Amino acid sequence: MKSVFKKALALFCAVCLLLTFAACGGNSDKTGNSGNDGYTADNTTFKIGMSGPLTGDSAVYGVAVKNAAQMAIDEINEAGGLDGVKFELLAYDDVHDATKVEANYAAMYEAGMQLSLGCVTSNPCLEFSAFSADDNVFFLTPSASNDDVPAEDNAYQMCFADGNQGKVAADFVNGLGLDKIGIFYKSDDSYSKGIYDQFKANINKDLDTVEASFTDANATDFTQQISTLKGCSFIFMPIYYDPAALFMMQAKDDVVANATYYGCDGFDGIESAKGFDINSIPQEVTMLSHFNSKATEGTAADFVKKYTEKFGKETLNQFGASAYDCVYALFNAMKAAKDAGEEIDVTISASDLCEILKEQFQGDFSYSGVTGNDITWDETGYVSKEAVKYVIKAASEK
Amino acid sequence: MEQIITTLINGLSAGGTYAMIALGYTMVYGIAKMLNFAHGDVIMVGAYTIFIFFTMLGNPLIGLLIAVVLCMLLGITIERLAYRPLRGASPLAVLITAIGVSYLLQALAQIVFGADIKRPVFFDFGKISVFGLSIAVSTLITLIASAIIMVVLSLFVKYTRTGRAMIAVSEDRGAAELMGISVNKIIVITFAIGSALAAVAGFFMIWKAPSVSPTLGALPGIKAFAAAVIGGIGSLPGAMLGGILMGIVGAFSNSFEFTAPYTDAIVFAVLILILLVRPSGLLGKKRREKV
Amino acid sequence: MKALMNIKWKHYINYVVVGAFTIYLAYMAFAGDMPRSQTTLYTDIGVTIILAVSLSMVVGFLGELSLGHAGFMCVGAYVGGKLAATFTEMFTDLNEYIIFVIALTVGGLAAMLCGFIIGLPALRLRGDYLAIVTLAFGEIVRIIFLNSGGVFGDQSGMKTPRLDRQILPFISFILVLVTLFVTQNIIRSKHGRAITAIRDSEIAAKATGINVTKYKLMVFAIAALFAGIAGVLSSYTENKIQAATYDYNYSIEMLVIVVLGGMGSINGAIVASVLITYINNVLQTQLQGNMAVLKNLIYAIVLIVIVIYNNAPALKGFRETYNIKNLFSKIFAKKHDPSKVHDDEAKWDRVPTKIDIDEVLSVDIQTGSPYAPDKSEKEKN
Repeated sequence: MKSVFKKALALFCAVCLLLTFAACGGNSDKTGNSGNDGYTADNTTFKIGMSGPLTGDSAVYGVAVKNAAQMAIDEINEAGGLDGVKFELLAYDDVHDATKVEANYAAMYEAGMQLSLGCVTSNPCLEFSAFSADDNVFFLTPSASNDDVPAEDNAYQMCFADGNQGKVAADFVNGLGLDKIGIFYKSDDSYSKGIYDQFKANINKDLDTVEASFTDANATDFTQQISTLKGCSFIFMPIYYDPAALFMMQAKDDVVANATYYGCDGFDGIESAKGFDINSIPQEVTMLSHFNSKATEGTAADFVKKYTEKFGKETLNQFGASAYDCVYALFNAMKAAKDAGEEIDVTISASDLCEILKEQFQGDFSYSGVTGNDITWDETGYVSKEAVKYVIKAASEK
Repeated sequence: MEQIITTLINGLSAGGTYAMIALGYTMVYGIAKMLNFAHGDVIMVGAYTIFIFFTMLGNPLIGLLIAVVLCMLLGITIERLAYRPLRGASPLAVLITAIGVSYLLQALAQIVFGADIKRPVFFDFGKISVFGLSIAVSTLITLIASAIIMVVLSLFVKYTRTGRAMIAVSEDRGAAELMGISVNKIIVITFAIGSALAAVAGFFMIWKAPSVSPTLGALPGIKAFAAAVIGGIGSLPGAMLGGILMGIVGAFSNSFEFTAPYTDAIVFAVLILILLVRPSGLLGKKRREKV
Repeated sequence: MKALMNIKWKHYINYVVVGAFTIYLAYMAFAGDMPRSQTTLYTDIGVTIILAVSLSMVVGFLGELSLGHAGFMCVGAYVGGKLAATFTEMFTDLNEYIIFVIALTVGGLAAMLCGFIIGLPALRLRGDYLAIVTLAFGEIVRIIFLNSGGVFGDQSGMKTPRLDRQILPFISFILVLVTLFVTQNIIRSKHGRAITAIRDSEIAAKATGINVTKYKLMVFAIAALFAGIAGVLSSYTENKIQAATYDYNYSIEMLVIVVLGGMGSINGAIVASVLITYINNVLQTQLQGNMAVLKNLIYAIVLIVIVIYNNAPALKGFRETYNIKNLFSKIFAKKHDPSKVHDDEAKWDRVPTKIDIDEVLSVDIQTGSPYAPDKSEKEKN
């Protein structure tokens, strides 16, 4: 027993020494930013990489992004691409698991990715952000809304950042002059918790809050949470539409009938959630967002029509709309750069393209599409567009 | 006081579902002596079947009947193809195939039904008020149904020939075989009953929370396994007790703002405490080791 | 030369293979041009081997089912990662590799402490009851770290330092060698024999004077130590570590690897780790877009087929004729030399230690058999 430990200790010391030597000898060039590493040399199309949950619990979001991005790319290709050069989507599955992102990133980078949509969900995208910064790959994420995602200068967001949403929502609630509100959030989710934290930090201190939270969105019995929130006439729900629809279906008559459910952009798509009849809910459902899947006119309506024709109503949500916009924004930026005289060849390296696109996005480039008009980006990479208050369903007067 | 009773009722509501799943778990474990990790996914298949026939026919009860039959067939098929070849091999090997079957069912479900969440809405009986407290009828029905199933199963195991053969197989497989009991047949019957219970559990799950997705059964399966262990695995009343206990602990933890994020941790901590005091569960039999 | 021939190569073959690969990785690290797909795959394989070998000690050698290995890893990753992050911030002139070694030590020890604590109920509980307690432990740890309220990051994870990704595979394989060295030395010592004796019959082991308490706690603590080390290592591969990674599914994945590799076989655990990690990596990166849904289907089918092929009693004869070991022994068949005394020490972990009573009773004692009692002098005459 003793001798085993002695040996282990000796070995351990040896390893420590070895590692220290390795430290002295090793080159600590962590970025390894070589710019041209030849992966894009054989490209015949512009390759856009993305990683998202195509299977597992969050698959519906990843599939929406993949479908919409593919749809946008097909449209661009049909219209002739960028001066005849077509685009191609590389979509990898990360099952909403951050540890799988590096392999995906490596696979798409080595397959010749030149620009990217990043990851669909926040936590994996934080990893993606770090890797893509190493290689200087430009990405514009449709839906990874964590505040830290655009921290590096190659990263941009198409969706509102969590902190911003929380602040805007808090301002809105402060303006209502209520004295008691309910909050319903998902405590293990960075999107929900991120908005919740910012919301709590910005609301009036004398506002009474009743809080309820949950962890597992799958077929959860929300009876306890509903009992907690029963008496609230205004409930803030920074969650995605799936658990929200589930909550509303269960809470139907328990929560006061003229109450308001107030959500963020995660609410998008709630009225198309299958089997969920929003009109059976007596309460009002409102959200502050950038996309309205019930739009009847304009680009949003076009998108909704095209998407539902192609993929059905099941996966229609703001993730897809945002991804559709991302692809077009990237395309427009490339086109604008080319018109301005930049050389964009089909074999351009990711790093070179990144510099060109960065210049565009920091310049006076703006984009109008499904999720907003005259969208611009600030120097960090946060999106700047108008958040619109959509009343999805007004309260039924009883 | 009223709040405590409301929370208690909410706990019963959640616990009834756990109890139902745990009954199937404990049944299969007690007789086939294997942890059927795919049990939760049989629930998922049952839920999808109910959903499909509900949207086709408009009546969830017909869907439930078809789901029960289909899940029985599924259970028998899984047993035949994945578990029976390993009879006599190490129990861990069987555990791993069960995990494989679980992955397989989830993957198939996503390929066949897609990734989006389906929401079948069944009839709503509303609430009744007892002593000034309103209780959802669905909660009452779940509890009564799981109690009935528990009693019927216990009677079945105690008083029928097949049931007693089951006990014999669970006590000593070799000896049972020598007594002329067909072990294979008994285990097939066990799987059929377990899977039928899974379909019923699936019905109650999606009745209370209308949400059907490929990973529907995974976490409830694990929690029901924990419930079965709390009650003493292999014991039918134990599974019921364990499930309800888990539901109540979860509801109380969810009712406070600061403990709500830790609900699962608290439930599992209670499990550990119970097992430390009673190593074979609340109603489990004490095993004596022979030398 | 003769000395080389006399070495029991069977004992050392894994060191040779893993060592050779480590040297290759060292060479590649200094050349500094491994593509990212390779560095991430090799680092992952290293982490998986450490986890599988250490879990194999608990499951394969001690014979206790543990479903909470990821929990120990979680402790290591968070404690080690937090320490590394604080040190990097506080002592800016301290070498990052020294910080790494300190983080490795502290993270490992923290996990070891947890392993010791979880070993305590293991003294009282058996089989599936212990399995659910370990699973519960893993989930509790994960949830506590997830909701630590800023101490260990938030829901979006905890920021940890990263090392040069070219050197990371090399470091991870150095740690694999350490793990192998420690576990194999324990397993092949008298302690290892005591541990397997507990697996085969706890009561009999107790009766022969083996300190069951001590060994159980020891195995749990050492397995947790290495899981913690793997955790610290994995924290260095991520930009932000996330508690959701270390859920019970991860523990189950490790258990799958140990069982696939064969219970109580360290080499098996290594081979299975490489195989499963590689299969997962290939499926994940080759099946993209609409094909991604097939990934889990293929994995599940491969898993079921391998387990049934490896374990089904009905296929025993088939396995014995067609397995890699036999094919090799046919190619390198040695002439049987009766004068040479065969040392079967290397095989001891394969020899069933349980005496099958039925077998003993059914043996017919033949005349002239070495087991027959000696004839008395009278009969001889």
